[in-house]
Amino acid sequence: MSTLDIILQQLTNGLILGSFYSLVALGYTMVYGVIKLLNFAHGDIYMAGAFIGFTLLSFFAGTLGNGWLGILPAMVTAMIAVGLLGVLIQRVAYRPMLQAPRLSILITALAVSMILYNAVMAITDGEYKAFTVGLGFEGFNLGEVYITHTQIILVVSTAILMIGLYLFVGKTMYGKAMRAISIDKDACRLMGINVNKIIALTFFIGSSLATAAGVMAGVYYGSIHFFMGFVIGLKAFTAAVIGGIGSIPGAMLGGLVLGLLEAFGTQIPFIGSEWKDVFAFGILILLLVFKPTGILGRTEIERM
Amino acid sequence: MKRRLSLFAVFAVIGVFLIGQTCFAADLKVGIMVPVTGSEATYGKDMENAINLAVDEINARGGILGMNVTTTTGDAACDPQQATAAATKLVSEDVVAVVGGYCSGATLPTLKIYGDAGIPIVIAAANSTKLIAANPGIGFQINSTGFDQTATAVSLFKDKKIKTLAIVHQGDGYSEDLAKLTKENWTKMGNEVVAYEVVNKGEQDHSSLVTRIKSKNADAVFWTAYYADGALLIKQLRQAGYKGMIAVGDGSNSPKLMEIAGKAAEGVFCFSNPTVEYLPAAKAFAEKYKKNFNQDPGPYSALAYDGMNLLADAIERAGSADRQAIIKALGETKGYEGIAGPIFFTPQNTLARSNFVVLIAKGNKWDLYR
Repeated sequence: MSTLDIILQQLTNGLILGSFYSLVALGYTMVYGVIKLLNFAHGDIYMAGAFIGFTLLSFFAGTLGNGWLGILPAMVTAMIAVGLLGVLIQRVAYRPMLQAPRLSILITALAVSMILYNAVMAITDGEYKAFTVGLGFEGFNLGEVYITHTQIILVVSTAILMIGLYLFVGKTMYGKAMRAISIDKDACRLMGINVNKIIALTFFIGSSLATAAGVMAGVYYGSIHFFMGFVIGLKAFTAAVIGGIGSIPGAMLGGLVLGLLEAFGTQIPFIGSEWKDVFAFGILILLLVFKPTGILGRTEIERM
Repeated sequence: MKRRLSLFAVFAVIGVFLIGQTCFAADLKVGIMVPVTGSEATYGKDMENAINLAVDEINARGGILGMNVTTTTGDAACDPQQATAAATKLVSEDVVAVVGGYCSGATLPTLKIYGDAGIPIVIAAANSTKLIAANPGIGFQINSTGFDQTATAVSLFKDKKIKTLAIVHQGDGYSEDLAKLTKENWTKMGNEVVAYEVVNKGEQDHSSLVTRIKSKNADAVFWTAYYADGALLIKQLRQAGYKGMIAVGDGSNSPKLMEIAGKAAEGVFCFSNPTVEYLPAAKAFAEKYKKNFNQDPGPYSALAYDGMNLLADAIERAGSADRQAIIKALGETKGYEGIAGPIFFTPQNTLARSNFVVLIAKGNKWDLYR
């Protein structure tokens, strides 16, 4: 492989990895935006989404086959189902805690994470599930770089979801309400905005996007397991912080940046691929030291 | 008053429980230490099933020295910390001996715990050479060690005219050990290891590693760790258009590998200890296992079954359930005929003869290659 091929290949790798990070990071950043909570259960929502998508796919595969024709309805129904699960979690676990100190709600999020993680472990007996789909390795060559159709579909679907979200938040009344809540919750309430409803909607969208990422990861990698959400949860959180937590374009950008950094980080001589996590979290630490607000984050004045 | 009544009830229950315990004191309690949760749970449950099957047969024959055998399981979860907790649990339950040990990395720290308690352990699957040094004399490895597997691997690579090799492990005791030994052997023969890589456990995306392997032009890739992550690596190698040979160590010998990797697994080589389907002596065992548990016996079930029967044999030869006597009897084993072949121990308590074979993935199942 020539240097150009390696660059092109790592660019592809970084884009795909980054797409997953971005989708999950969006959930972190949106929830942080509206209720200032670092929702540590978000990685497990991604995992739960993958499992529900897997169950629904085996249901749809009976009539529609396990190609894209079956994957698409399975993914959409899983997104709705897990979106509702996200709303339920918000209603049961987080809403009663909204007036409590931020640390309490953070601990609640850890508890939710453990419940989800252990529930799936108990249901699946802790086994790996093979996410069987009828997709081959068809694709084309770009120099010595081989790109499959599946990879292109994944990146394009992520782009569509993100553009959709961007338009939703920027152009609709719901999106406007969401942005308003992130600035001042009490003023919104006085203006007649149903704050609880908008918070629930935020959880719905965030969980749906994580589910989309989870199902796509299952389709792409071919296996799912109950601890698959842990690493990506941490990475997506890193991505959200890199982009500037609370900022939606920031999460999209942060995910892609992190994916590309990881891919190219492994090409540095004398550093093996086992160092890629060190690389990712090293960047996080550097960023927290030199620009704690992230690439697109804004400086917030903490009023005492 | 009500409170006192309920207190009384609690004591009554505890009392009955204690009496119950003493009544069954003639039982011989054997500990099973395998992973029953986590990434290696499939293998662990196979082993647990096989051990329980052996115990049922022993009890049907009238037990060991007239004592009924019971089992209790400690979940090692393929994790050193959890395994330590599992071993402590088994010690506190006062087991006579332990059978099991799947992940070498998780088995390693438990040897000291069993050693301090003087409890013998028949290690049925774990085969890292690191276990030899850590063994305080109570562990008996009935699986061939990494040395034997490396020899089989290197000779296959040589016959396949491989020049450059990429080795990938996961940094745990078992896979790192196998990777290191293979690297040493391979370079000693004047060949080259162009990539020696580690991936993190549970990592799903290996794309940058695949690019690295491709850019180094490795003729063959040797994955020394377990099936779940190995299947992902195989899939991603083939997806990126890697055309070279792929071989996997015995930890990846599972039908699940093919289920996850799909078509990409075709033609992958696997080094394995003789699994049930290649053992003529294991036919009756395989049928019984299938009937009892409604599934195929996994790769380590035969060794786990042998491990339990070897222990029973040693206790009978020792003539008592005294742990020191059992350890002595285990060490004196001379050609015990297990279904996986006769068992002799070296002075280090490892198996005196190798039993590795080479398998190849053909049409979604493992075939004997040689």
